[in-house]
Amino acid sequence: MRLAQFLGAAAVAAAAALAGPGAVKAQQLVIWHDLGDNGVAWFERAGAEFAKTKPGVSVRSISYPTDQWFGRVISAINTNTAPDLIFNNYERVIRIQTQTKKVMDLRATLNQVADKGFLSEDDLRVATFDNAMIILPVQRVQMAFGMRQSWLTKTGETFPQSWDDVKRIAAKFRDNDPDGNGRADTFGLALQAAKPRDLVHMLDLFTFGSGLRHTLIDPQGQITIDRPEHAQVLEEFLKTYSQYKFVAPDTINHSFNEMYQVILGGRGGMFRVGDWNVRGWDGANALNGDFVSGPWPAFGGRPNSVVIGGMRGVAVPDNSPNKALALEFAKFLLGKEAQQASLELVGAAVRKDLNVDALSPRQQFFARANHRLAAYDFPESVHTFYPELEAAFHRKLLAGIANPPADWKPFIAETAREMRELAAKLKN
Amino acid sequence: MALAATIDLAWRNRVFYLFAAPFAALTAVFGLWPIALSIQVSFTASGTALSAAPSYVGLANYATVLADPLFLASMARTLLYTALAVVANLAFALAMAMLIDSPRLKTGTMFFRLALFLPVVTPDVAGYVVWRWLFDRSFGSINAALGSLGLPEFGGIASVDTVTTAILIAELWHHAGFYMTIFLANLAMRDRALEEAAAIDGASAWQTWRHVILPQLRPAIVVNLVYATIQFLKTFTVVVVMTKGGPADRTNFVSYYAYQLFDQARYGEATAMATILFACVIALSLGAFKLVDREAAR
Amino acid sequence: MNHRLRAGATTAALYAIAIPISLAFLYPYWWMCLGMFRNARQVLGDPLRLWPEQFDLSAFAEIARVGGVDLWVYAFNSFAITTASTALGIAITAMGAYALCRQPDLPGFRWLRFGFLLTIMYPYMLLVIPVYIVVFKLGLLGSYAGIVLFLALGPIQFFLFDRFFRTLPREVIEAGICDGASEAQILFRIILPMAKPVLATVALITFLINWSQWFPILVISRSPDTFTLPVALLSMNGELGASFRAIMALAFVTTLPVAIAFVLAQRRVMEGMAAGAVKG
Repeated sequence: MRLAQFLGAAAVAAAAALAGPGAVKAQQLVIWHDLGDNGVAWFERAGAEFAKTKPGVSVRSISYPTDQWFGRVISAINTNTAPDLIFNNYERVIRIQTQTKKVMDLRATLNQVADKGFLSEDDLRVATFDNAMIILPVQRVQMAFGMRQSWLTKTGETFPQSWDDVKRIAAKFRDNDPDGNGRADTFGLALQAAKPRDLVHMLDLFTFGSGLRHTLIDPQGQITIDRPEHAQVLEEFLKTYSQYKFVAPDTINHSFNEMYQVILGGRGGMFRVGDWNVRGWDGANALNGDFVSGPWPAFGGRPNSVVIGGMRGVAVPDNSPNKALALEFAKFLLGKEAQQASLELVGAAVRKDLNVDALSPRQQFFARANHRLAAYDFPESVHTFYPELEAAFHRKLLAGIANPPADWKPFIAETAREMRELAAKLKN
Repeated sequence: MALAATIDLAWRNRVFYLFAAPFAALTAVFGLWPIALSIQVSFTASGTALSAAPSYVGLANYATVLADPLFLASMARTLLYTALAVVANLAFALAMAMLIDSPRLKTGTMFFRLALFLPVVTPDVAGYVVWRWLFDRSFGSINAALGSLGLPEFGGIASVDTVTTAILIAELWHHAGFYMTIFLANLAMRDRALEEAAAIDGASAWQTWRHVILPQLRPAIVVNLVYATIQFLKTFTVVVVMTKGGPADRTNFVSYYAYQLFDQARYGEATAMATILFACVIALSLGAFKLVDREAAR
Repeated sequence: MNHRLRAGATTAALYAIAIPISLAFLYPYWWMCLGMFRNARQVLGDPLRLWPEQFDLSAFAEIARVGGVDLWVYAFNSFAITTASTALGIAITAMGAYALCRQPDLPGFRWLRFGFLLTIMYPYMLLVIPVYIVVFKLGLLGSYAGIVLFLALGPIQFFLFDRFFRTLPREVIEAGICDGASEAQILFRIILPMAKPVLATVALITFLINWSQWFPILVISRSPDTFTLPVALLSMNGELGASFRAIMALAFVTTLPVAIAFVLAQRRVMEGMAAGAVKG
């Protein structure tokens, strides 16, 4: 044991010496998120601004892969080793709250903020769970439908509005060699399906973007998928993965990483664009700006829109080590400097008075948000059993895609029946 | 009396307890303690599992899990895959070991050993990320090569019919070199005089291999069997990186199925599954360990 | 003449099997190296290419800093943690295995052996939360000491020593006892010097294996300051996407040191590994 302690201490000492004076600040706020290097850069800049008003304070952000983030946050809060702040999508913070009951109610904190007119009633409702404000909403997450501009030009098309447009263009993207490399190696769409959230997330976007309110279950607990307007979207969605051959056959195993490779590799012509993707995709090694965003395709003549995937926000655990300072920083994230940095580095913000002129046209599309917006419904905030239901739904849909029926209508009816039975069972 | 004798025996050999103490401490603290905690969670209600005061539900999680047709299917799939993977890896490793051991191959054997062993020490995540793209039906080199040779397409990890084969190949790449090395070491220790005697008796090459060489390889076969059984029953990383359990649950083995339940905050059921898998590993490998001991006693 | 011809044909056939299989095993490495220089478009558009279109090193600029920490910190951690856990693991395992082999029937020793074997049979990926809690209770969260201690024990090391001590001739120990040496002297003055080649082998193998560990490090760390290269590689696979060439470049950086170590010492590693596994 001595040896280990010695080695450990020696290594720590060496690392501290090499890491420089930054590691031994008097007071350091630690924040855990899953935003990757963009998020690290944002918190670094916001932390530097914050330090101007609070000398001697530093902010350290740590990005974990999303599934690791859950386990880490839950075990840290339960063992009183919580970080000062946590940052993630609203529905994920709900999961933390249901597991730990130790996420602070931030209503009083928000009341201390004078400058908050930019937060709408909807935003605040999204941030509230079980009568407590569990996050301060910091980033409004927008997800648009996007496509390769050069492919549109090559095939003589313009940005599609209706689902029929999308089908026509998808076929052209697949068959007409839109990248001009002489090989039939392109696909109409780049989607994902591997994990429950992957597939249902894609369905969510088509559903909400086409003006419907609930993908699988409504707040009253009714299964919605076999209502005619829902069934239409679902059937076309499933055919996109199967009969239509619009996506690469491996898509059933694609999760975020693989989906991104297909998009960045220029093999899929239409795809999801999140506001946080734009900065990277503008880069020369990525899409070099060769993409255009717009609303999701319209079904049945309903108005179509860009989807708001809820809010990302900052939350403070009850056992945050530097709670007072953590709350100060949480409020600071709503201020103009932090918000401007968020817009530039992560691609999203909530304030409306930010400077967008320096942004690229693709970034400005999201920053100005001059389009119709439809909001997510967050069934997990109403039904605690939702993740399990969603997993069963995903399993059923993937089985269908792997072995597609000639007629999807009975399949959808059967799926709806099974989901009703399962939901009834899980409610008890 | 017996207790006093035991204490006396222990005291006289206290220096050995001293030698073993750090090893025992680490085994207990970092090995057995987390496992015990995990098993404890399997007896609690998921919603309270990680809170300060978990509520105990007895065997309810085990009952739920054992009544879950998906879990039973996953268990059956895991056992089947383990059997396939063990046989494929050991057969391939043995064949390669015989090949490399052949006196006809004079130059290049070090290169062959290196090629087959390098994947063993390559971080598995890195290796499987590469394989994931090699197998891709549309953009992978395997299908591109098959296509340019005019051969039929391989479904890879996208087809329910080929996904098991595909991850078997990737796992074989990662593990077979280890088993091969053990066979090679065993081959190097064998008694070559027996083969010369067989040759004088006019035995064919096959007869010599079957009746003279193979029986001498039993230690390596048994050890490989134990290692491989433990290894493949716990198959996990390859699924996380390459298939996420799909397509259509075809690679949703128990370890991955349980891990997914973590995502749904079903901790009690997940750890109950882990405990059941643990019991299977113990049962299957204990059987094999018994074989090892019998071999060692010979 | 005919006989020699047939023998030649057999040799040729054996090479015809061994060479393609070896190349197939090495092909993923070649693909990985190409992937560092090619962009996603080139990789997905022309997967069979055997030489990169360009030697673009921008991937290395992308991985110079990952997760807010410089690449060299991860590399330093990899070397420091792997070296420390290897040294500690060898010391502890050698003594433990020696005691268990010399006196297997002492009270508790069978249980210790059995308990150790149990720990390698649990599906480790489901231990995220318990391991965190244990390390927290020990007050070692986020410390190098916690990681090093956790990595110190491993099955291969134990089996290697076990095998070596079992084959030790009893006369060596008995001669020591006759000379009036204490048990400690027998272990440290007689046995361990004899075991030098085995110690070297185990050190090398343990190093290679600990190098690619990621799970305990991710769980025990409280920040990327204690991450190693494989953990950095893993955390690049986030939901926000990562550049393909950057992943390949980091995979290359992670694999290169073990590949070099292996090539330099391949014979010893392979023989040692096999010796540890084949008992009797």
